Amino acid sequence: MLPPTEPAPPSREDLRINFFHPRPGFMRKEVTIIWITLAAWAIMTFGIPIHLAITHKDPVNTLAEVPYIFGIPAYFWFSGQFLILWFIFLCFFFNVLIDWLTSSYRRRR
Amino acid sequence: MEQSVKFTPFFLLGCVLILSVLIGLLTRRHDKGGYGIQVRSIGHARIGAAIASNWMSAASFLGIAGVFFLHGYFAFAYILGWTGGYVLLLVLMGSQIRRFGKYTAPDFVEARYDSSVARVFSAIIAIIISLIYCVAQYKGIGMVFAWMLGIDYTEALVFGTVVTLLFLMIAGALKASRNQQMHYLLLILSFVIPLMMIAKKLGYNWLVPQFSYGSALRDLPAKVSIDYLYPWTFGTPYEWIALCFTLMVGTAGLPHVLSRFYTVPNNRDARWGVVWGLFFIGLLYWSAPAFGAFARSWLASSGTELDPVAAQAMADIIVIKTAEWVGLNEILVSVLAIGGILAAISTITGLLVTGAGAISYDIYYRLINPKASERHLLLVAKGALLVLALLVLVIAVNPPGMIAQITAVAFALAGNTLFPVFLLGIWWDRANKYGAIAGMLVGTVITFAPILFGHLLPSLRAVLPPTSSALIGAPVVILTIIIVSRLTPPPPDHLRRFLVEKVHSP
Repeated sequence: MLPPTEPAPPSREDLRINFFHPRPGFMRKEVTIIWITLAAWAIMTFGIPIHLAITHKDPVNTLAEVPYIFGIPAYFWFSGQFLILWFIFLCFFFNVLIDWLTSSYRRRR
Repeated sequence: MEQSVKFTPFFLLGCVLILSVLIGLLTRRHDKGGYGIQVRSIGHARIGAAIASNWMSAASFLGIAGVFFLHGYFAFAYILGWTGGYVLLLVLMGSQIRRFGKYTAPDFVEARYDSSVARVFSAIIAIIISLIYCVAQYKGIGMVFAWMLGIDYTEALVFGTVVTLLFLMIAGALKASRNQQMHYLLLILSFVIPLMMIAKKLGYNWLVPQFSYGSALRDLPAKVSIDYLYPWTFGTPYEWIALCFTLMVGTAGLPHVLSRFYTVPNNRDARWGVVWGLFFIGLLYWSAPAFGAFARSWLASSGTELDPVAAQAMADIIVIKTAEWVGLNEILVSVLAIGGILAAISTITGLLVTGAGAISYDIYYRLINPKASERHLLLVAKGALLVLALLVLVIAVNPPGMIAQITAVAFALAGNTLFPVFLLGIWWDRANKYGAIAGMLVGTVITFAPILFGHLLPSLRAVLPPTSSALIGAPVVILTIIIVSRLTPPPPDHLRRFLVEKVHSP
């Protein structure tokens, strides 16, 4: 062991930053919150268009078969109006969790 | 009517520009110099208004409605790309880059990758992004001034450039800062109030035109209605998803968007400001498609035939045309036109100043003349600003597409270059300068290859559409950075330690 006056050279493991292998503690919890938010972001944004692309190839049938909200096709309302609200909610959700995480770690310090 | 000078918008524009300089003079003492960091704490809603004000350009104010007018559902790719990108930015990078403590993209790249070469590359990319972004704004200014003055587009473009530079010089000479909240309020009111009146004129629910435009679409003749409501009439699912994804990663990598995270007192305020910012931006994007829908509604109900070429030519000022067509009061039509010009001018001035700063500091001072005095650098910056303004003017004479499409190319470049460099710079300690430089080079090639060689290789343009290349480009660049970094020595330990101790700690 090195004398306390000389800072010990940290090992490579100590300096590892990897999104897919987060460091234990704060970073691991932060990355978990990020994964949840990103999953909710990606599924809602791209899920509906992918579903529509696979299941609805004919314009007339599509508009006859899909459910309607506020008088327009649900997917149209979903993309044009709901998703922006969803993004706002996701940012809100992320901030609440990060606030909680940050304050709990700062208290522990 | 097209050929006459419209005095009302002209008069109102003069008043608004003078007023904004006066308000800037009155409020400037509240701002600190340099990056305009506000030292006192302000409410999250006000931070959000500043984020939205910074964001609202001609692409948002004029462009989105134009794309919806032409391409219906396909326009949602722009709207979702430009809002969903804020989620990516907030979640993946906002806090971490702020903790890193560097205010501009070149500053961050140099500090993180310990390389002045990488810094110069990122500065050049940031300047090109500004240039492309400005071309789109110039197109907006040219078209609105052409409508206002009844003159040719090119003449209007020159006139608009002169007005913009004069405004910049006067505001700069008087050291007037921009009151972001006032600016946002002005823009959103000048967008939404005329829209409500248009809905009223056409007999739709005018209190919430953001919803009632659905009825207008349903009332269209069956063929047109189906075209607008069906998702894949004007583009394939791949094109829609690629565009949406590109705009999202582009938003997260755009230097002037990222810099907003530093203009507030602390990290938490910046994060919560994004929630409000997204809401304020949402108000504009919920409304923009309504202009396109009401324009189609008026065309159908009045029996006016518009051939595709004419529709394409006027799409970028369809917000103004719709107001004119339905017979809105001249003042309200003028308000819309002025909103478009203000959105464009404020974006141009911000981007030109940033671009000129990057040329004078990141390229001239860091690369050519490190002994240059501050006075000398200021002169270089002023000269660079003039050159950039003229360069944009020359390119904008023959705009390569619609306002939103040109802007999307700037986002594609940001998404293919700066986004991967920021992302890996924060989330992977092993990313090094060789990887970053290689990544930025590959990203630049991926962005411009389909534009330069697309006519020779149509399949290249189909796989990598110029507006949407980051769906493939960003992962390829990320892979490039990983491979090159793995094959070359790791970054110095002090940088990696900084990442552990400062960037990824509460």
